[in-house]
Amino acid sequence: MRRTRPAVVATALALVLTTACSAPREGTAAAGRPVSGGSLTWAVETEPITFNPHQYAQAKARLLVWNTFEALLTHDTQGGYVPWLSTGHQVSADGRTYTFKLRTDVTFSDGTRFHAEAAKANIDQFSVDGYNPSVRAVQLRNLDRVDVVDPATVVFHLRQPDVLLLDFLSSPQGAQVSPKSLKEAKNLKAGGPDLAGTGPFLLDHYTAGQEVVFTKNPAYNWAPAGAGHTGPAHLDRITYRFLKEPSVRVGALTSGQVQIIEGVPATDEALITANPQLSLSRGLNSGSAYSYYFNTTHAPFDDLRVRQAFREAVDVDAVLTGVYRGSATRAWSVVGPTSPFYDRTLEKTYGGDAAKANRLLDEAGWTARDADGFRTRDGKRLTVRLVQSAPFVRDRRDVLAQAVQAQVKQSAGIDLNVAVVDQGTATQALADGQYEVFDNSRADTDAGAALNLLLHSGGAINRTGFQDPALDELLEQGQAASDQARRKTAYQQVQKLTITDQALILPLYAPADQIAAGTTVGGWGFEPAAGVPASAYDLWLSR
Amino acid sequence: MTRAVARRIASGAVVLWAAATAAYLALLAAPGDIVDSLIGDGADTPQIRAQIITEWNLDRPAVVQYLDYLWRAAQGDLGRSYLLQRPVGEVIGDQLPPTLRLAVAAAVFGVVLALVLAVTTRHRWVRRASSTAELIIVSTPPFLIGIVLLSVFSFRFGLFPVSGDQGWAALVLPAVTLGLPIAGVLAQVLRDGLDRALDEPFAVTARARGLTERAVLMRHALRHSLIPAVTLLGWLTGALLGGAVIIEQVFGRPGLGQVTLQAVGNGDMPVVLAVVVLAAAAFVVVNTVADLAYLLIDPRLRRSTS
Repeated sequence: MRRTRPAVVATALALVLTTACSAPREGTAAAGRPVSGGSLTWAVETEPITFNPHQYAQAKARLLVWNTFEALLTHDTQGGYVPWLSTGHQVSADGRTYTFKLRTDVTFSDGTRFHAEAAKANIDQFSVDGYNPSVRAVQLRNLDRVDVVDPATVVFHLRQPDVLLLDFLSSPQGAQVSPKSLKEAKNLKAGGPDLAGTGPFLLDHYTAGQEVVFTKNPAYNWAPAGAGHTGPAHLDRITYRFLKEPSVRVGALTSGQVQIIEGVPATDEALITANPQLSLSRGLNSGSAYSYYFNTTHAPFDDLRVRQAFREAVDVDAVLTGVYRGSATRAWSVVGPTSPFYDRTLEKTYGGDAAKANRLLDEAGWTARDADGFRTRDGKRLTVRLVQSAPFVRDRRDVLAQAVQAQVKQSAGIDLNVAVVDQGTATQALADGQYEVFDNSRADTDAGAALNLLLHSGGAINRTGFQDPALDELLEQGQAASDQARRKTAYQQVQKLTITDQALILPLYAPADQIAAGTTVGGWGFEPAAGVPASAYDLWLSR
Repeated sequence: MTRAVARRIASGAVVLWAAATAAYLALLAAPGDIVDSLIGDGADTPQIRAQIITEWNLDRPAVVQYLDYLWRAAQGDLGRSYLLQRPVGEVIGDQLPPTLRLAVAAAVFGVVLALVLAVTTRHRWVRRASSTAELIIVSTPPFLIGIVLLSVFSFRFGLFPVSGDQGWAALVLPAVTLGLPIAGVLAQVLRDGLDRALDEPFAVTARARGLTERAVLMRHALRHSLIPAVTLLGWLTGALLGGAVIIEQVFGRPGLGQVTLQAVGNGDMPVVLAVVVLAAAAFVVVNTVADLAYLLIDPRLRRSTS
């Protein structure tokens, strides 16, 4: 792996491998100077369930979205926003009015001009019943209306200050689809070649279960400031092949059947790093870390000491090394380590102290032991249940749970009961409160969006059941303040309250994406902020 | 004759209806409801729930939904996929041809290989070696067979491409992976049938007439051993459909297996129902073919039915 910029090298000293923010374009030096033309095949793990960006729900499909669609804003490497289809925006003093100036030189691939009416039509589309109720209820909760001032000016009026509007306008759901497509597309919610965007590629065809092919948009000339180049994309054509089996993806790469892959499991990393013709890079995702959330609504986790004891009973480093062979980055906070809101002071402040765990459990009254060595209180075993929904288990999280299970049993006599079940059973268990541990990670680009859902007393996936007006107040401050420093202060207090004071959460690892590519491929890397593989715009193939 | 055909069609329709109904009831009885499945691990609020219910007309009683489904299905409208937001007919129609290609290729390969093995491995140690190999193949998960074949023939020697439904070369490895276990089972059954047939008095008579051992085997015994093998046609269909789920995943092939897996995992009821009905239809067709094959193989059955 070679790096081209001093900033990248500096960051690499801090982290074992490059992260999302530090290396937007990896592998450039290895392959020489960018060349125009050629076609490339990329093996990806996940097949998108939709090609309509407004319906986007899979972080793993994000690299496809930005080939054909673009948003008003995008992210820079410092965690801020840069204009994309806009030229700038202003926020009113009360934080309730966002005025966007739009680019006037942009055309959708169906020939329609991009202008303020189009931007309004995209937002208004979410008011159509059944189009995407989730976006309307979460991201656009505070949006009152959108006004068109002139073809190059659009104004968003909010009911209350909500800085997460910017996050929405930089997200796939906020991407701009041709208003003509919104009216005429055959299967609008499924998307497809008849859904026109403004991006550097055109969706040529999609063969379900096999591949999706994009061709260059020769008219493209409006790349954002942070992109690796300007003008049309380098590649004439890119094919994404859906290979769900990790070992098959790696085999296809090592045998030269594809030139680049994403999703390299820890067990296969050695195959890539040992091969001089290949290189591997990892990017940490944005959003919330993969964590265990303790259900505080009933025993035993209604007792702070038991929550703390569970955390002390797990030696997270040992568990991660065992399961991921040192390729996982440990998380110390619910906020991912690449987020600007991450509180570094939480590191090494808790966890991995079996003696303390046992002392806390003794204090909490779980003093007796049963025949199997588990702690009991009043004849009842210290059992906590983790219910995992099979369709959403990834990154060997089921194996990770088994490793945690073994640890808490051995070090503190806690019985962690892990069940991997179908989606219906899992939802039922959550709805009925038949769980003590909930596991989750979210890929939101702004960690605040994840925290609102997970920690606010009215949050849609608040599985801790913890309700605290002070916590809600802090989360609301973080969402309303347009000043980044004030947001950071609020979210640091949120982290202190939930991680240190209340021990509501056991953060485990920071989810990551991996890319492996042949040395003939240049311009690959991770999206700033989101930390997922970037689109094909900067990709090129040396000849 | 026409009455027999009519009876076949009628019983086929009953089987399809029963399969659809059973699948409907099973999905209804499964924990969690459709709204839960559609929300997945996303945000869950009363407003979101209400909209999903309105969108898919889920507020009607289950009986009404069921009758409505039957009425539409009878008219050829299989509904829309909850997950993929496309008409189910279109989803299935896209994915059926690659699965059919895979299934037919695997079946042909499996049957031919089984016949060759059963007939050629009659000598003591060859027979034992073949039989052992067959048992090993049958008890190896198809997933593993696929990965091993890929590693050797695709990744190591580059003879066949790994992925997709792209011409004959890409069909070879998946068809072999799916066909090998079928060949294993069929070869065992055929060999057993041959053994029994060769012990029958007619074999002794044939030998007494001066026929060579080869002629006795090919002309007389093989025909007898086919009857139990044909009975396995139904099992074969199941093995092909079930195996396709795994094979398609390993080889990155499009097909019904992938669609089914995704639909079951996400509670995509319209797609699951369509796949069940399609599978039931396949069984009806195959069993009809099996019944006809009996008549073709065994003249005694022809006399008793007429």
